Amino acid sequence: MIIRGKAWTSREYVMSFDMVVQRFWTSPIDKTENAKFIMAGVDAKYDQENAFKDEGYTFIVAAHNFAGGGKSIEHCVTGLMGAGIQVVFADSFARLQFRNAINYGLPFVTAKNVIDMVETGDELEYNLETCELKNLTNGQSMMTAPVAPFVAEVAAAGGLMDFIRQKIKDGTVGELR
Amino acid sequence: MTITEKIMAYNSGRDKVTPGELVWTDVFSVMTMDYLGKETFKMFDSLGTGDVFDKSRVICVSDHLVPPPTPQFATMLNEWRAAVKAHDIQYFYDLGRQGIAHQIMVEQGHVLPGKISVGTDSHANTYGAVGAMGNAVAVSDAAVAMATGKCWFRVPEQVKFYVTGTWQPWVMAKDLSLHIMGMMRWNGHLIYKTLEFAGPAIDALGMAGRMTLCNMTVDLGAKNGIIAPDQTTIDFLRPVQKGNWDMIASDADASYEAIYEIDITNLGPTVSRPDKLDDVVPVEMVVGTKFNKAFVGTCTNGRLEDIAMVAKILEGQQVHPDVNFLLVPASTQIMKDAIKAGYISTLLDAGVAVDTPSCSACAGIHTGVAGDGDVVLSAGNRNMKGRMGSKNAAIYLTSPAVVAASALKGEIVDPRR
Repeated sequence: MIIRGKAWTSREYVMSFDMVVQRFWTSPIDKTENAKFIMAGVDAKYDQENAFKDEGYTFIVAAHNFAGGGKSIEHCVTGLMGAGIQVVFADSFARLQFRNAINYGLPFVTAKNVIDMVETGDELEYNLETCELKNLTNGQSMMTAPVAPFVAEVAAAGGLMDFIRQKIKDGTVGELR
Repeated sequence: MTITEKIMAYNSGRDKVTPGELVWTDVFSVMTMDYLGKETFKMFDSLGTGDVFDKSRVICVSDHLVPPPTPQFATMLNEWRAAVKAHDIQYFYDLGRQGIAHQIMVEQGHVLPGKISVGTDSHANTYGAVGAMGNAVAVSDAAVAMATGKCWFRVPEQVKFYVTGTWQPWVMAKDLSLHIMGMMRWNGHLIYKTLEFAGPAIDALGMAGRMTLCNMTVDLGAKNGIIAPDQTTIDFLRPVQKGNWDMIASDADASYEAIYEIDITNLGPTVSRPDKLDDVVPVEMVVGTKFNKAFVGTCTNGRLEDIAMVAKILEGQQVHPDVNFLLVPASTQIMKDAIKAGYISTLLDAGVAVDTPSCSACAGIHTGVAGDGDVVLSAGNRNMKGRMGSKNAAIYLTSPAVVAASALKGEIVDPRR
């Protein structure tokens, strides 16, 4: 599958507690709702309803420890998905949100120094099978890390909850190891 | 293998595991708490399995929102209580028997050496203090664990901190946590890794200090922090857990990605300056800094030993008139023990406000939050902008000893002087 769209980038640390600010930590998990104020603490201009979503990004390109800062809440991931984000590229990811991304089937793709080849607003194309990332705006391209089989399996099932529902239905939960 | 690798292998029916491998393991206990609990049960219900995997091993705790400061939180708590009740949960630590979830999990014996426990709050790393693998997860993972008794994990790379030497007076485990934070940087150089603490200076630590150390490993980006169980662990758990448990330890030839040696003899009181956890300096460099709020509590430093340290320093003295000092024990048990030991009356005599156990000001959504212009000297775990409330407040993090000694003067002092 090939995904095309516009990128939002940051060289700074993008922290989980800034992606979802304190007043929404207690919100129910809902992609549309969680998207409304996603990134509100990263940039003050996104602290308005759907401000980030309305800029129409498909990709996020970041540097080190994306979504770090220790929050385990999955609102960070559901909020990004609700805002239209389909893939996040970074040098590295914080483990709690990396885990949430896997559970929701949102690709968090490790790509060394990816931030050096993308500016906010650039048009990108990413091939999920070949793992090739192309910047259509400046013509650069790179290969990203492949997705682990388990991660692909969970994504194909539609996320962890559906993955487990299927196992429960098949009576194979006990075989998970 | 290391202790963490052994735990992951034994709980997934394998002879061995290798860093990077993805495994499904058995989970001994699952913790969820007030503000995410209703969502967790909703997700669990959507899996359609009916009962939770073990009603005595899904542990529910009210900690972030109790007692409720707003009608919104009161309503959330009511919905949470209804969800817990509907699932016939055996251990529910609600207001009146409450405490911070991670404290409750360890103190009440819901985490055990050699087992894996997960919780829907980031500081679940605390459970490593008893030689368990403690992991923070989000509500989907907790819901799956409640239904199946299982959770998936990536086997982390192994890093060891070997700590030698003698603890100096007034120096606490928190100082070591902050020191390591400064050494390894906050933002992710230890992402996904296991931090194992070992060595004579770790053996000398009581359970409170071990919990502090493991607690803050999440803030280093680590997957888990762990200390091999020993006699201290047995003495701590025996009153609450009658069974036997696995006293797993790392093999002498276990392989680590890195081993860092620290001589604790040279470590003094340590402070993290506002906004960035790894902006860590020896206390000497911030002596004289004025502050108006002092806070001791949280899952990092709200234990009896921490309160004892504060009481010892404040005994017979008065908190500076320009300082509001709030102390919140991490659990009802700790509150009772602190009352019995006379610490609470010492604190009240000194002008400290003591609140009922909760996460309190730490997460910035409950009591004692910071306002514009506040400078807070806190024994909590995070100090990013806005963490305790206003973005226009500054938070210095340090040990309970530094908070207490400084509160007498209204400015940061070195407790050794």
